[in-house]
Amino acid sequence: MTTQIAQETQESNGIGASESPTLLELRDVSQVFSSGPFWNRSHNVAVKDVSFRLSDSPALITAVAGESGSGKTTLGRIMLGFQDPTFGDVLYQGEKVSEMKRRERREYRRQVQAIFQDPFSVYNPFYKIDHLFTVAISKYRLAYSKDQAYHLIEEAISGVGLRPAETLGRYPHQLSGGQRQRVMVARSLLLKPKVIIADEPVSMVDASLRATILETLRTLNHELGIAILYITHDLTTAYQVADNIMIMYLGHVVEAGDVEHVINDPQHPYTQLLMRSIPMPDPKRRWGEMRNLGEPPYSGTQIMQGICPFVNRCPDALDRCTRELPEYYVLDQHRFARCFLHQDAEMAGDSDIARYFKTR
Amino acid sequence: MGKSAFEAELVSNSAILSIRDLRVYFHIRAGTVRAVDGIDLDLQPGEKLGLVGESGSGKTTTALAIMRMIKPPGQIAGGEINLDGTDLLALSESEMRSVRGFDIAMVPQAAMNALNPVRRVKDQIEDGLRDHGISESRNRMNERMSVLMQQVGLNDSVLRLFPHELSGGMKQRVTIAMAISHKPKLILADEPTSALDVVVQRQVMETLEEVRTAIGAAVILVGHDMGLMAQFADRIGVMYAGKLVELATVEEIFSNPKHPYTRLLIYSLPDTSGKRKLEGIPGLPPSLLSIPPGCPFMPRCPEAMDVCSIEKPQLTGEQNKVACHLHTEAAITV
Repeated sequence: MTTQIAQETQESNGIGASESPTLLELRDVSQVFSSGPFWNRSHNVAVKDVSFRLSDSPALITAVAGESGSGKTTLGRIMLGFQDPTFGDVLYQGEKVSEMKRRERREYRRQVQAIFQDPFSVYNPFYKIDHLFTVAISKYRLAYSKDQAYHLIEEAISGVGLRPAETLGRYPHQLSGGQRQRVMVARSLLLKPKVIIADEPVSMVDASLRATILETLRTLNHELGIAILYITHDLTTAYQVADNIMIMYLGHVVEAGDVEHVINDPQHPYTQLLMRSIPMPDPKRRWGEMRNLGEPPYSGTQIMQGICPFVNRCPDALDRCTRELPEYYVLDQHRFARCFLHQDAEMAGDSDIARYFKTR
Repeated sequence: MGKSAFEAELVSNSAILSIRDLRVYFHIRAGTVRAVDGIDLDLQPGEKLGLVGESGSGKTTTALAIMRMIKPPGQIAGGEINLDGTDLLALSESEMRSVRGFDIAMVPQAAMNALNPVRRVKDQIEDGLRDHGISESRNRMNERMSVLMQQVGLNDSVLRLFPHELSGGMKQRVTIAMAISHKPKLILADEPTSALDVVVQRQVMETLEEVRTAIGAAVILVGHDMGLMAQFADRIGVMYAGKLVELATVEEIFSNPKHPYTRLLIYSLPDTSGKRKLEGIPGLPPSLLSIPPGCPFMPRCPEAMDVCSIEKPQLTGEQNKVACHLHTEAAITV
């Protein structure tokens, strides 16, 4: 069943792929949220100067990790086209999303799909599960007959490891959280997307079901060649699922690269702090020596422009950190850190983060 | 079990909390939901017990039953809960009110919903103090509250703020301050950090551990994060379909899990020491409306035997207990 979808997806992916290898691209994207009256306006920078590419040759899983308020969800929303960035451009297959015509935009919306955190609030409790699929089919005119539509739905549901007979015809409350989340993945799959942006897809699902959903995402990536952006605060699942990772702090990408390097040998003090705070499921490895953790910023915190965003929590802060914003220092072929502790390393010539990603 | 026998046992084991055959049922139109179905548990003074399980396994219901806060259609259908010699289920509602928040305190899951949004932190803590008969001069009261704030690592100025002016971690610390304000013997913490980021989670859990040591209270930590349990608990109780299926020290649970469910639960956790295929636990927990006759985990169990579908395994063992036929005589005789 999955191979059939794979073929079709590859066919539909083939059209754009030959023209431009870059699927989705962010160019110096910043997002500023302003609030308050005009004489006392406050500006919160949610995302600051992020450039990177999601490629489909080969399609990879990229994780975006950080605490709440780091801008990771905003980044996802910008890539989904839910939000126009304040500065910079989003390009889909080489075309600016903001300048797309209606038809192109619809195609972009179909090919870039979202999976959200809460598997409860995305459903309308009055409709059966089928509704979720039939709406998508009629909106994008995927089928010409009821039989064909049903066939498509069945295929998508089997694709995520659920049994259509046990899933269709039911109401959302009759499914478990894990099943609901997989139905959401199936809905994305139905539209034969090229990109899936999954924003904390497992944080509200029981630990025993998390593994199944993450494995489903991995299968979609490996077998169907769908590029996935996995947004999370959980570094352990990011490590298991993703090929590459970007660590965000207050809108800035502070460290990025091959997940093996970043997670197992973190170089930015913030990544180190995150890694030290993970409660390891092993009573013999208790939380290590506590260095000053500092108070994390919370919504409403304004970024001091032009200096390291992490400076007031950093245990290793240098003088220079309070005056300048660190560049991207390339530590090895597949990783950079934005920290003056590595100021002797070579500076990146290009702000494109994906340049340092490992490919499979 | 006779009352006197139960009390005699209590004297011998010096537990601060003793639960015997606790059953909590919810009577709904479709039938009776056996949310908690016969739990035995002893907690020593100062002990940290972790209760883990999937959603619907009855862990939160157990905690609420200890507070006697089960709301209709739910009711405590039977059993005994003994806190330091007092049978909680025999108390009148007004007597129970003086136990709640005084002898047993609760740290709730969602701190943002536990605090009143239109009142200052100070007024809310003061309410809790006055409600249990502490009425002192303005100055003494303020002093008492600033000591509480210090204990949970917050600045005095937080007292004058409204909840929306606090971050998630600060709010959770305020609820911890409220919980310890009467030096309770038992603190029930129901997923206190599930809404928080990892760094804040660590800070809050370390705060909880500090104040717990200071007042010598026992803690029941309810949650599904096995990592957090490994960091915090002395002993872990694994719940499945309203029953305890394994109860053992934290070292034993992680190094030598006996119940297949515990094993799968630990194995399904992602770690950072090498990529591997992620495996969840296949299947779903049984409906609590009609629990199958044998072991409730049987349909999902990779090691199920014939006896598992016939006979319910009992929780057996000395210090470390497990309810599984792999570890009982029945497996050999049938």
